[in-house]
Amino acid sequence: MAQIPNLDNSPLNLKSLREQSQRDLVKILKDIRGKKCLVIEPKLGGTLSLIIQTSLLKEYGIELRHLSAESVETDCSKVVYLVPSQRDLMKCISSHVHDGISKGLQREYYIYFVPRREIQCERILEEEKVHHLITIGEYPLYVVPLDEDILSFELDLAYKQCQVDGDTGSLWHIAKAIHKLESTFGAIPNVRAKGKASVIVSDILDRMHTEEPMNSSDMALSEINTLILIDREVDMITPMCTQLTYEGLLDEVLRINNGSVELDSSIMGVQQEGKKMKVPLNSSDKLLKEIRDLNFEVVVQVLKQKATSMKQDYTEITSANQSVSELKDFVKKLNSLPEMTRHINLAQHLSTFTSKPSFLAKLDMEHTIIEASSYDICLEYIEEMIHKQEPLINVLRLLILFSVTNSGLPKKHFDYLRRELLHSYGFEHMATLYNLEKVGLLKKQETKSNWLTVKRALQLVVEDTDTANPNDIAYVFSGYAPLSIRLVHNAVLSGWRPMEEILKLLPGPHTETKRAGFTSSPSFATLQGGSNGLDKITDGRRSLVLVVFVGGVTFAEIAALRFLSAQEGMAYDLIIGTTKIVNGHSLVETLFDRLG
Amino acid sequence: MANVSVAAEWQLLYNRYYRKPELYPMRWKNIDLSRNKVACAPFGGPIAVIRDDSKIVQLYSESALRKLRIFTSSGVLISDTVWKNPGGRLIGMSWTEDQTLICIVQDGTVYRYNIHAEPIEPNVTLGKECFEQNVVECVFWGNGVVCLTEGGLLFCIPDFKVMRSCQLAETGAEDLPNCMAVIEPKYTVSGNVEVLVGIGDGILIVDEDGVQTVEGEVVQGPVQKMVVSWDGKYLAIFTHDGRILVTDINFKGVLLEYNCESALPPEQLAWCGLDSVLLYWDDTPLLMVGPRGDPVHYFYDEPLLLIPECDGVRILSNTSLEFLQRVPDSTVSIFKIGSTSPAALLYDALDHFDRRSAKADENLRLIQKSLPEAVEACIDAAGHEFDVSRQRTLLRAASYGQAFCSNFQRDRIQEMCKTLRVLNAVRDPEIGIPLSINQYKLLTPSVLIARLINAHRHLLALRISEYVGMNQEVVIMHWACSKITASLAIPDPALLEILLDKLKLCRGISYAAVAAHADKNGRRKLAAMLVEHEPRSSKQVPLLLSIGEEDTALMKATESGDTDLVYLVLFHIWQKKQPLEFFGMIQARPLPRDLFISYARCYKHEFLKDFFLSTGQLQEVAFLLWKESWELGKNPMASKGSPLHGPRIKLIDKAQNLFAETKEHTFESKAAEEHAKLLRIQHELEVSTKQAIFVDSSISDTIRTCIVLGNHRAAMKVKTEFKVSEKRWYWLKVFALATIRDWEALEKFSKEKRPPTGYRPFVEACVDADEKGEALKYIPKLADLRERAEAYARIGMAKEAADAASQAKDGELLGRLKLTFQQNAAASSLFDTLRDRLSFQGV
Repeated sequence: MAQIPNLDNSPLNLKSLREQSQRDLVKILKDIRGKKCLVIEPKLGGTLSLIIQTSLLKEYGIELRHLSAESVETDCSKVVYLVPSQRDLMKCISSHVHDGISKGLQREYYIYFVPRREIQCERILEEEKVHHLITIGEYPLYVVPLDEDILSFELDLAYKQCQVDGDTGSLWHIAKAIHKLESTFGAIPNVRAKGKASVIVSDILDRMHTEEPMNSSDMALSEINTLILIDREVDMITPMCTQLTYEGLLDEVLRINNGSVELDSSIMGVQQEGKKMKVPLNSSDKLLKEIRDLNFEVVVQVLKQKATSMKQDYTEITSANQSVSELKDFVKKLNSLPEMTRHINLAQHLSTFTSKPSFLAKLDMEHTIIEASSYDICLEYIEEMIHKQEPLINVLRLLILFSVTNSGLPKKHFDYLRRELLHSYGFEHMATLYNLEKVGLLKKQETKSNWLTVKRALQLVVEDTDTANPNDIAYVFSGYAPLSIRLVHNAVLSGWRPMEEILKLLPGPHTETKRAGFTSSPSFATLQGGSNGLDKITDGRRSLVLVVFVGGVTFAEIAALRFLSAQEGMAYDLIIGTTKIVNGHSLVETLFDRLG
Repeated sequence: MANVSVAAEWQLLYNRYYRKPELYPMRWKNIDLSRNKVACAPFGGPIAVIRDDSKIVQLYSESALRKLRIFTSSGVLISDTVWKNPGGRLIGMSWTEDQTLICIVQDGTVYRYNIHAEPIEPNVTLGKECFEQNVVECVFWGNGVVCLTEGGLLFCIPDFKVMRSCQLAETGAEDLPNCMAVIEPKYTVSGNVEVLVGIGDGILIVDEDGVQTVEGEVVQGPVQKMVVSWDGKYLAIFTHDGRILVTDINFKGVLLEYNCESALPPEQLAWCGLDSVLLYWDDTPLLMVGPRGDPVHYFYDEPLLLIPECDGVRILSNTSLEFLQRVPDSTVSIFKIGSTSPAALLYDALDHFDRRSAKADENLRLIQKSLPEAVEACIDAAGHEFDVSRQRTLLRAASYGQAFCSNFQRDRIQEMCKTLRVLNAVRDPEIGIPLSINQYKLLTPSVLIARLINAHRHLLALRISEYVGMNQEVVIMHWACSKITASLAIPDPALLEILLDKLKLCRGISYAAVAAHADKNGRRKLAAMLVEHEPRSSKQVPLLLSIGEEDTALMKATESGDTDLVYLVLFHIWQKKQPLEFFGMIQARPLPRDLFISYARCYKHEFLKDFFLSTGQLQEVAFLLWKESWELGKNPMASKGSPLHGPRIKLIDKAQNLFAETKEHTFESKAAEEHAKLLRIQHELEVSTKQAIFVDSSISDTIRTCIVLGNHRAAMKVKTEFKVSEKRWYWLKVFALATIRDWEALEKFSKEKRPPTGYRPFVEACVDADEKGEALKYIPKLADLRERAEAYARIGMAKEAADAASQAKDGELLGRLKLTFQQNAAASSLFDTLRDRLSFQGV
């Protein structure tokens, strides 16, 4: 099965978006005549696998390589680098060029920056004295469709760069990406933002509108009705919790990368010792589409049911005479057999983790922290984790959850835990702790925590969640309703106004903008029959809301959004934009900065 | 009838009519073409006039210095300048496609002027050979020139936009050629210019790569003059025996032959459109020869200049400018004497209608079926007219006829009116661009507008571009730039006002481009004021930098949110200013500061330290030093166990001191202190154990390593040295002992005293090591019943687990444990009964 997702059922024409990106890339490669060696930065390579099949590239006379510190060995006289605009890659490329010169190779070098060339990179090339030897171009890939309803800006480090380094380049990128979407799908009339970074994105977007005004005709044709921007900073609690949906759990345990997981083939029942295999996970897989957003407990049952019914069918087929049409139905069911086996294998693998007492204990602890009722138990638990030298990231995830819900730790405990961490894991982690402190994830308590108020007002903890027939998004964490999605839900339904009091308790400002072009243009008003008409369903398609998570979103949150979108009385289709799909691990990892 | 008088002015050449309406009486005074070198641009372009220095002429009341004067086609002076250029005689002068005047003098220097007679620098030379040999003749085409030197060499500038000269192949002939003609690059197969050289008895085709002799009957004997038609397909040749020949450009077949009975070649030979050829000797009538029939003679008593156009020839004399053209077919059909074509009848009908005669209706009936084509002919004929009243009459006829047509494209008339309005506007003698409709179409409106702008006719250009629905940005932009150049005397604020007033007419216009022009003209302040209005930061910021407004640039870049722009400014300032000044500029601005730090962190460590020191962020310097200490550690020179640990520790000490400077960083300071201490201890341990396994492990790991190595005293020492808590100590020691599977020691340790952690560490260590027996020693000691139950469950003792759980009265736990023992039916039922009992108790 292809890793490139099937986008046919998307509420937006994302296919055209992807095709444009394909064409852009092919054009770049075609324009460089003759045989060439294409060197791709590995992570970018992963992203590109969502856009174009690498085998297709070979048709353009291309040798494909991954960028690494080792110099490029090729007979091609043209070497084309396709890399993101990152400083650290420039030294590597420079050394390749120098190496080529010292070997006396006659080569032409090209660098194509994704999504655009940046002065800071070129500056390093200049300092390394290779800038004049390289032809520089751009591959404007700002956004990649991950699935029918998910767009990724592929900015892994956005959260860290914004929060720790104060480098807001990624925010400009996001605004640009949204602006590009608008040039395809029409300007978005309503923008709601919460959190510092979100408001900056919204501001830059406004600026782009004044710098390059859109025609008023484009305004009327907007396919997307509302843009909601949520800064990850607003809700750091949700990603720190262990996701309990099927896809979320897969991500927690196996790490989903660019819509696929890589695992030992033995897990998938293929007997090839030590060989890794890639399993694509996107909505082309019908069974996955059905179960990805369910609570894992339920998934096991669903799979079991399906297997049983299939077994029953099978026995019936072998035992009795069947009509042709019944046979046909059966064969049709058989077609889904590979999908069944795949997910049964995966679920089996997951349950080896979920049945461990330590896993359950961890879940228990997460809930205890969220309940915010037993401070001392939590503290002791975390302390013991440190003493046992459990993996640092696991410790930090809980610790962050603990610190954020308490709006920091009393100085005594803060210093004590930090000291224990340094003693147990080494002093090189001082830099990581410093980063966490800068970001406010692990800090000294200065004000009283308002988590209880927020929790109560937004009903974040839901007792008695029925995971099999959920009636609330809380099912995704078996009892905790993700804060971010509660906010989105409210923003979609009624905007920020009715919940201003609560928004003030959460980090960062919030804004609500209505684009001037729409209110003043009379044609628009008549077309839509006033602003109330916006919510109405026109020609059978529902209005679209683009929810952008600045700093990343988890699969569990996506599941919750899909759940919302599927609810009766929801007048909108939701499309999700994110800097990257994250989980607690990957987020905390970006904040790691070993001194050593 | 009026029609007669129109056709009366026509001449018939074989079966074609020609006419030559006067375009303008020349407005200039005292210009004698015979005394001057004159260059006229095609498409009704300007005329450059300069006294001919190859002729002996009488000076009247004029300066001996020659003046280069530039007129419009109507003879209105646009500009003049004194010709003082060195380099000898002026050999060739011509206008390029973008209306630059090219003047080539004897020594091969090329001088260029714009339409305002301002020299365009730099001057270009054709090369050393030209300088040595002297240029004797130049043949121009729209965008290039071929020059002949006295030595018979050919040089070429193939493109005036590039202005690079090249030498063409040598002909090898000893004599100088009689005549030359050029086939433009766009009409040759090779895409390079080809020169036809009439030399000796034949014609050579010369290009960059070689020389070719023309074969064929056409060329017999020396050729005296040649000219290529404007479409590059035909060649007119004047032979040594006084004949004029027209042939295909490949010399295949003779299309026209006429004996002029003159041994002397004509002074001018020109194509009139593609239909006929004009020959001009200064003492005989102008001769027009067509493919068949008798030639036509035109009588003039003045010197003439023939200006070939695509659809005719303009004839310039001292007093007037005429346009000789073949009468268009539509015009012929209407105005030919005795014409009964539908168009003529329609035209006639209008006349009757105007005189309220019923014959109008009669005429219309006659042509009913062919009415649309009659209307079309009237519209077309109107387009070809230069006379406004006749245009109007013809259009009225068309519109009259159209009223009776059911299916005629209605916008044709409107379109023609539009075109004619534009044409009439530029034909005005003040503007002086006498374009025919065909020329206009070939030239295209945008080029016409460009030419108007170039001649500083901005208002007209603006009106036309608005009228024909083109973007006005070009016009306004050029206007603004010209205005700035021309308004040295106007103070900045006033000029800004004037400029803004017009610039705002056009949305999306680049204020930055105008500002850049202002800056180039030395008006930096005006530039600064203009750039303020540029909405696009990506254009605004670079300009602000180039005019030295670094502070504003930094502010604008920051506002834009585009980090790339901020970096642009940062690097600019960084390079230009002293470090301290640079630091001062960025210190109070979060985004630029953070970006600088982020860049410097990975590329300019030392410089970053300077920055932090200058801004008093000592803790940041401390972190950098601390980081360096690790880098030293990685350095192979500072390998483990060697005394080179000294420098590392020194760096950490330094960091510690810096942290200690501020009281917010006591924690970091202590950590650094401990780190240094740890390194020293680890170093000693490596020396004493002779094993390089300690350095850079954590305190806990060091303790574990010591215990694993059996060095309990060292472990204890580390413990006390760093005040490791009893709890942690227990976990560490238990795990370490389990690692070496020293169960005896473990048991002894458990009995030392009541463990502060309880017995959990012992149970976990044993269970993890899969030592059931060992684990059983500690499980009963677990205080918490639930824990005990789970521990039993983990080693698979269902019954004990169930007992413990039921003692703890925890139904949920029982349920979970049951799941664990799912495969074991007996155990499973055990849990069920226990749970039932529990729930009864609950009730």
